[in-house]
Amino acid sequence: MPEVKRVFQCTVPGENIRQVFLVDGVLQESPGTQNGITLSTGPEGRGLKMHITGDHSENPLQIISVRSENLPEPLEFTNTWELAPGAKAQIVVCDHTLKEHLYQTSRYSHITLREGAHLDLLFMQNEHGRSRYWLDLDARLYKDARLDSHILSLYGGTIENKVKAHLQEPGAVCNLDGLYLADGEQEIKYNIEVRHNSKECQSSQLFKGILDNSAKAWFEGLIYVAPGAQSTEAFQANHNLLLTRDAKITTMPQLEIYADDVKCSHGATIGRLDEMGLFYIRSRGVPLEQAHLLQQMAFVHDVLEHVRNHAIRVRLEKMVESRLRGEFSKCAHCTMHCC
Amino acid sequence: MGKTQGNMLEINNLHVSIQDREILSGVNLQVRAGEVHAIMGPNGSGKSTLAAVLAGRDIFTVTKGTVVYKGVDLLALPPEERARLGLFLGFQYPVEIPGLTSVNFMKAAVNEQRKYKNLPPLSSGEFLKLMRQKMAVVEMDPSFVGRGVNVGFSGGEKKRNEIFQMAMLEPTLAFLDETDSGLDVDALRVVANGVNKLKTKDNAFVVITHYQRLLDYIVPDIVHVLNKGRIIKSGSKELALEVENKGYDHIINAT
Repeated sequence: MPEVKRVFQCTVPGENIRQVFLVDGVLQESPGTQNGITLSTGPEGRGLKMHITGDHSENPLQIISVRSENLPEPLEFTNTWELAPGAKAQIVVCDHTLKEHLYQTSRYSHITLREGAHLDLLFMQNEHGRSRYWLDLDARLYKDARLDSHILSLYGGTIENKVKAHLQEPGAVCNLDGLYLADGEQEIKYNIEVRHNSKECQSSQLFKGILDNSAKAWFEGLIYVAPGAQSTEAFQANHNLLLTRDAKITTMPQLEIYADDVKCSHGATIGRLDEMGLFYIRSRGVPLEQAHLLQQMAFVHDVLEHVRNHAIRVRLEKMVESRLRGEFSKCAHCTMHCC
Repeated sequence: MGKTQGNMLEINNLHVSIQDREILSGVNLQVRAGEVHAIMGPNGSGKSTLAAVLAGRDIFTVTKGTVVYKGVDLLALPPEERARLGLFLGFQYPVEIPGLTSVNFMKAAVNEQRKYKNLPPLSSGEFLKLMRQKMAVVEMDPSFVGRGVNVGFSGGEKKRNEIFQMAMLEPTLAFLDETDSGLDVDALRVVANGVNKLKTKDNAFVVITHYQRLLDYIVPDIVHVLNKGRIIKSGSKELALEVENKGYDHIINAT
């Protein structure tokens, strides 16, 4: 697929990046092992399987998944990642649509992090206003494993993200972040479940959304602490900014705790832009529109700050800024602007 | 903005209400370049309202009167245009903006001002140099600018940050709304020194304060006493001492 590679020529995450392409769910390179990473095709010829050994934390892997005009029908595939004990990896998953078809994509992701493995995972969801996108992520963390997951829902007609993390053995750490920006008639759903099945694990969730026009979003977040999962630390926060009266957010934070020695908290807020803050910014000579933007960028700041790869974070800040300026929605071929 | 002829600011018979309650009931005030004015007055007399209305806070309604600044009808302009014309308000309660660093805030503000003056935006290097220079004016710890605007700042640090912003924007007319309240003696000196360093023959300051103490450091040319929405007495800096020694009631009863 030389054409796809040219379109998505990516320089953002740095020179050491390895790019793997999936077109309509089909892996575009031959299975094999390279530098401790074994790549093969998923079930029924779609999706991919990756087995990772060794430390790749400085060399991001980018999975670029593209929907083409050759397959307008709904598509479903499964990606499997397994990190061997002590392995470290940074994976960026980008989803794009090449044409304005009514694409429907269901992507299952199975993640297994063996003892001491560390995965930094970033999902970029940037499709078009008529696409339907469904992510179902299931992660299992064993002893002292760590998952840092960032989901950025930048653009799409309907986006549904279901994330379930199982903390299976002591010392597992799971940080889940998400940012959703929606306008027009877009709908975004997040369903997050963190299951503390073992004692002495830590988890945190930070999800933030900005909704404009008549956009709708749902956030359901559950922290489950199993009987006997003592010394659990689990936190969840969901904060939302509504820019219009027609935008809607439904947020349902939930805790289910069956152990007695735990530190858990959850919090959800829904608010508007701060009038006093806007006046303060404008009183320094910044026009209203720019003041709106600064306040929204300030709102999403801590989610982006959690992205550790500097080059990717800087790029994300720019993308979020142009998204909030409304530039993406004006663009018929939004796919070319990203990653 | 060319040369200033006569008054830089001219407020005539200004009446201001909020939700049908009149707060300012006919304020008259003239400020010329090179002057320092002090406005004193008891709680609720309308001092902060006056400053906020001039800066463009839209919760207030001007029911009567005019404000001309540099020959322009100030009240017709949105807050950002007033700022670009060189008006500055030092807030009594500076607003906290988590997630927006002072660097990014000031970069946006300075570059908007430069755009207005048809100047290119400052490069990162030039901007940082300017920041360092202005932080020195208020003896501000450089680590502050990388933090969220006013987030986790003490009362004194917030006021210092207001003066820092003023130094960055170099306004021609600055209203400082109780910049001295909540300051210890050292912070007061730093803030006052900042103002004195920025003072030139071409700009003007209006200092709103409860206490004569600040006026030992920032010496006013004219002192006004505001009561019930009206300036009831204006005079030299000795008027501030009179307020301090005899209280507002004495002056209110004598007028």
